[in-house]
Amino acid sequence: MAGIELLSDQGYRLDGRKATELRKVQARMGVFGQADGSAYLEQGNTKVLAVVYGPHEVRGARSKILYDRAVINCQYSMATFSTAERKRRPHGDRKSSEMSLHLKQTFEAAVLTQLYPRSQIDIYVKILQADGGNYSACVNAATLAVIDAGIPMRDYVCACTAGFVDDTPLADLCHAEESGGGTSLAVALLPRGGQIALLQMDARLHQDHLDTLMEAAMTACKGVSKVLDEVVRQHLQEMSILTGE
Amino acid sequence: MSPMKLCVPGERLCSTEDCIPGTGTYLRHGYIFASLAGYVLRKNEGEELPVMSVVKETETQLLPDVGAIVTCKVTSINPRFAKVHILYVGSTPLKDRFRGTIRKEDVRATEKDKVETYKSFRPGDIVLAKVISLGDVQSNYLLTTAENELGVVVAHSEAGAQMVPVSWCEMQCPRTHAKEFRKVARVQPEYLQA
Repeated sequence: MAGIELLSDQGYRLDGRKATELRKVQARMGVFGQADGSAYLEQGNTKVLAVVYGPHEVRGARSKILYDRAVINCQYSMATFSTAERKRRPHGDRKSSEMSLHLKQTFEAAVLTQLYPRSQIDIYVKILQADGGNYSACVNAATLAVIDAGIPMRDYVCACTAGFVDDTPLADLCHAEESGGGTSLAVALLPRGGQIALLQMDARLHQDHLDTLMEAAMTACKGVSKVLDEVVRQHLQEMSILTGE
Repeated sequence: MSPMKLCVPGERLCSTEDCIPGTGTYLRHGYIFASLAGYVLRKNEGEELPVMSVVKETETQLLPDVGAIVTCKVTSINPRFAKVHILYVGSTPLKDRFRGTIRKEDVRATEKDKVETYKSFRPGDIVLAKVISLGDVQSNYLLTTAENELGVVVAHSEAGAQMVPVSWCEMQCPRTHAKEFRKVARVQPEYLQA
């Protein structure tokens, strides 16, 4: 590969992590009062805000109503200041629409939508700072927001990316590694059941390597799920103290 | 509340042989899993097995269901139906409003063909109704007031005073003593909120 060396001979990456090491994940639930559920999540330098409204009556076209389950409406947007170069359109471009669709599919797999027929659940995510792994950070933040809203889910959805450099799978890619031109695989996992809610890969990869890469991505997802679990438990405990027991 | 067990979505609580799944849980492969983040609650309800449910501090959103008694506000009327906003399901307030309709045929149980909507409801009235259907493509929630206990509970006269019911189909203004037609509810004590 031309230019920068993504993995040094000693096995360290650009930001000093080991191949399987995740970036630091920090999160907070219930950051807004007016929404039904909200969360803020940092995954390394990627910062995301997620907000959930609903379930409420279907807004807009009546043809959208589903008679046996809830409609999930997702909107992904990036702040104009989120990237190194100022973004002109925060949402509505092709990339954002695709991301919105992916989020919708992910959460349709995880949320128990059949409990709320003919209603709508809105999930809005905004990238405040983009440093790679935007999709996974959005999924993780949105999961926390959905839990905060008290909407029943089968399980957490945890997402993480994995790349492949010099025959070594790298977990949780940062922007420099993602834009390096190598393969990047994004997985959204329901960790307890081990079901995959979404799998996406944009570049070419030899079939022989797919299994090792998948394994690395799923291990990374499980690592993320442990962090999310702690955040939720801590939030619950704080809430019970606040309500005065 | 420290002795109560915390749980998170996807956590396995117990087998179906030990408990019956309640709210905030779901069934898979013969086990009960939590679907909410909250506290595990085991309650014996007279049956052999206790009910396992997950409760949250803040009330989760409720949706009007078939058979539920709802409190609504009339927003508009026309000769065929009255449009309402559903405000409460049972005694829980809804976070945002759901729209519903009360068709002319569903206003009362007898002499359905003689019902006139403007003699039963007026915009602004507070009405107790029961959900009969979640509606179809054209309509929202379909409601009925065809029971003695259902109908108008609070109404204001043309003079603006709150009216007093005088019969099942009339209400009187305490200020002008003018009578107005309404489908009046005989309010049952169990529907009255504390």
